[in-house]
Amino acid sequence: MDPIRRSLLGQLARLSAGAALVPLASVAQAGINQQPLRREGDPTKRYGMLIDLRRCIGCQACTVSCHIENDAPLGKFRTTVAQYEVEHQESGELATFMLPRLCNHCENPPCVPVCPVEATYQQRDGIVVVDSDRCVGCAYCVNACPYDARFINDKTQTADKCTFCAHRLEAGLLPACVESCVGGARIIGDMRNSESQISRMIADYRDELMVLQPEKNTAPQVFYLGMDERFITRPNAEPVTLEVLDPHGQEMGYEFHH
Amino acid sequence: MNSTIELLAPRYDIAWYPWAVQYFFMIALSYATLWLAAPALVLGKKAWLPTARLALLACVTTTLVAPVALLADLHQPLRFWHFYAYATESSWMSIGSLILPLYVVSVLALTWLAWRPALHDNREASGISGFVARRLAFGTSATPRALVVLVGLVALLLSSGIMLYTGAELAIVKARPLWHTMWLPPMLVATGFIAAAGLLLVLNRVSGVRKHATNMQMLKVLLAACAIAGLMALTWLLDGINANIGSVTAALESVRHSPSWRDTALWGLISGVLLLAVVLWMLTRRGEQQRSLLCWAWLVGLFAIHMGWMFRWVVLMDVQTVARHSAGFHHYGIPAGSAGLLGIIGTFGLWLAAVLVIELFIPWRHATQGGHAPANPVTDSDHAAVKGAAHHG
Repeated sequence: MDPIRRSLLGQLARLSAGAALVPLASVAQAGINQQPLRREGDPTKRYGMLIDLRRCIGCQACTVSCHIENDAPLGKFRTTVAQYEVEHQESGELATFMLPRLCNHCENPPCVPVCPVEATYQQRDGIVVVDSDRCVGCAYCVNACPYDARFINDKTQTADKCTFCAHRLEAGLLPACVESCVGGARIIGDMRNSESQISRMIADYRDELMVLQPEKNTAPQVFYLGMDERFITRPNAEPVTLEVLDPHGQEMGYEFHH
Repeated sequence: MNSTIELLAPRYDIAWYPWAVQYFFMIALSYATLWLAAPALVLGKKAWLPTARLALLACVTTTLVAPVALLADLHQPLRFWHFYAYATESSWMSIGSLILPLYVVSVLALTWLAWRPALHDNREASGISGFVARRLAFGTSATPRALVVLVGLVALLLSSGIMLYTGAELAIVKARPLWHTMWLPPMLVATGFIAAAGLLLVLNRVSGVRKHATNMQMLKVLLAACAIAGLMALTWLLDGINANIGSVTAALESVRHSPSWRDTALWGLISGVLLLAVVLWMLTRRGEQQRSLLCWAWLVGLFAIHMGWMFRWVVLMDVQTVARHSAGFHHYGIPAGSAGLLGIIGTFGLWLAAVLVIELFIPWRHATQGGHAPANPVTDSDHAAVKGAAHHG
């Protein structure tokens, strides 16, 4: 992508991060592909997450603890940290960029209206969840999410995703990824409460926060601090090598088979 | 400017399996063949009756098989009743789940009406075919022409709903820029007609019906559908070159960065131009030369079917391999099992079985526009045609 478009998107990312912070009204509209009514959850709260990339060391403690807490199948992740090696072309200097990824619990989640049975829905506290007893496993929501946040769980054969560990929040605990984050990079909280840490940080860093793929108008509620605008859309990078072959064409590395 | 290497990212699997391609392909054949049967069945054009008979056979069989493929694409197929217990107005898929069964019923009703006089006439036949005819004919009264027209119109209306929902279901997905274009739904319809006309060319040959008029009609439909599809593709591309349109940008980026997308684009372009040229050439020949050329029209038909199927494969499968928020493209190899190769072959096998069962027990070759059964349904010329199928000519 050309640098001008990148920087425009960067501006847009900041602007829409700002716009998303305007007191959030959960106005549902009727009609095809419009958001259905939110249900369940505490309407006095709006959960969001702020990820302070300056504190992320890419240790994947969040990935592992989430995996254990939520019993995701091998090879599928509710959250993970993508890592990039960036080389400065003039100085040859190398740097690693870490991008923790999870469900953005968007204010306008594209995965929700597409669900043909309303198995996936947004709670009134903003958390997007899946009712795995109702889900028919059509995988429409998996395709509708721009952030790869959803997958089909091989064990349940239904759609699966990050829930901000709603079951832990309900019990007064922090989500597994937040609890285990070594650097304290992940901050979750109620954005309607002006005293919460996330609200205070949003107020302090309002102009620096960015969200992913702002041009999709999904209004993500996971905000990145210390973000490089080249990573807010699909990164222009050499893709990860998932298969390492030996001279005989056999796989040397490992990957999860399921 | 920096260069970047992705060190760590998960492998993201595709979410829709080849079953989806089979559904989109079968249902497109279904609605397009229905429209090709319409001139004779709804408008009463006698010259289109032989085509309508083939089209109806193709329509009813694909209509029966398509929902099976759709059901198989669900990870929880036994929960299909949730679609009706929890219908959702916001979801195109939910809307489709309401239209689809109505459409299937309307096609079955239309087919039954068109076949009824012939079934009635077949009551005295021996064996299963007579038994089926006695059971299915439901009495000996004439089939009102007006009823055929009415049910035909209802089926056409519902088929438009199918065209709309299958297209819109993809076009609204912002997460996949290559789907997110209003040109995709009409393109699916146009390529559906290309495949359907191709299928009728093939059926015209292998069934032994071998009507010259059907070949000519289908080549004309192919010409129109190819021209429309070509114009739409061109408009989409030019639109995207002039303005920043996500789907075109994504397509150009894919073609730029992936050799396999380059091959796909080239293959699509060459196939389209080639098909258009061959059809045009066949249609502009005259007299004996054209007649001998039309013996090979079924090959053009096979090529057209391949185009309709490949378009759906590229749109549904290949697009899912374009990474959304990671670098490059995901690898997808077609698995051998039921979620892959076996599913693809199985769907076609099921379709073939449906065609053969109908061929064995139902006098589909004598479908009418209503009324009473023809006095002597199996004519000498039909016999000659059936025999002729064994030879090449």
